[in-house]
Amino acid sequence: MEAVRFRVHRFRPEDGHRGSFREYQVPKKKGMTVLDGLIYIKENLDPTLSVRYSCRMAICGSCGMRVNGMEVLACNTQIVELEKKVITVEPMKNYPLIKDIVVDMSEFFVKQKNLKTWLIRKDVVEQENPTRQYAQTEEELEKILQFTYCIQCGLCYSACPVVSNLPQFLGPQALMKLYRYLADNRDEGEDRLAAVDKFEGVWRCHFAGSCSTVCPKGVDPALAIQLLRRAALK
Amino acid sequence: MRERNVMLLHYATGLAILLFGGIHIWTLFFTYPFQGTIWETTMRFDSMPYAILPVYRNTLLALSLLGLLVSTTIHAFNGLRIILAELIGKRNIWIERGLFAIGAFLVIYGTRTILIAHMLV
Repeated sequence: MEAVRFRVHRFRPEDGHRGSFREYQVPKKKGMTVLDGLIYIKENLDPTLSVRYSCRMAICGSCGMRVNGMEVLACNTQIVELEKKVITVEPMKNYPLIKDIVVDMSEFFVKQKNLKTWLIRKDVVEQENPTRQYAQTEEELEKILQFTYCIQCGLCYSACPVVSNLPQFLGPQALMKLYRYLADNRDEGEDRLAAVDKFEGVWRCHFAGSCSTVCPKGVDPALAIQLLRRAALK
Repeated sequence: MRERNVMLLHYATGLAILLFGGIHIWTLFFTYPFQGTIWETTMRFDSMPYAILPVYRNTLLALSLLGLLVSTTIHAFNGLRIILAELIGKRNIWIERGLFAIGAFLVIYGTRTILIAHMLV
């Protein structure tokens, strides 16, 4: 059976160095994904390898990593599609590393939480015990639909060159999520724009567009940021 | 000043540079006769009409040059503020104040020069 060479980033915090790469030969099968390869390594070659995954069908967003230098979901990337003999697997950038290819995404979620990216209604009691539907027309839904597909995998945050240089930058995902609620006609949250109208907010985007390129769900965070800027300038 | 207003100023000064820069180039290259190199022509105060500085005796042109000076300074120093923050990895209020001071100095000194040119006989 034909084999493919996996070059996997290994890091143990107790070793105190920056990490290194270890190579594994993995038998290649039809339809095999990068995640399948990593699971094969963990089950058959090296049980010390740490990988974060869950659904294996590009829904949970847990297995985000860099494969051959590109941010991808490992479960959504077939080995044959890569057309390479060597598959280099690295952790996502712009996150503190926990172990091997597993990163700490706390800051990513904190930034999003600070922007209150959920539906806010003035009548909280009614929201908790709704008596009717919060209906939307098709046109109203169309404005936000693509942004609701975000699975919070964090690939856009890893690909963002501004986050690399300015870690305080809120990042594409949080800003896109904020726009999703700002543009939602059911939302009554106040001061949403004030939360991003600061130095590390919406204005720091350089419109490199790498966030939109790597999004596995086809969301366009770069567009959301531009729309957010337009809303902030009104 | 809110970041929204800073960036609005940044965009506005970017457009202003195009406008005032266009006037500046048009004035110098297409309306006044040159004699020798640009430097020689610029520095020639004695032999009219082959002199550029007296162009700014015209109040509108002097104001347009002032506009170019102010917009370029604001745009450039705000750009530098952002570049430095990203280079350092965080915002530093003292660097921003320093840049503001240098920018203000350049505007004041440049305004003085334009006023001198404006009042040349």
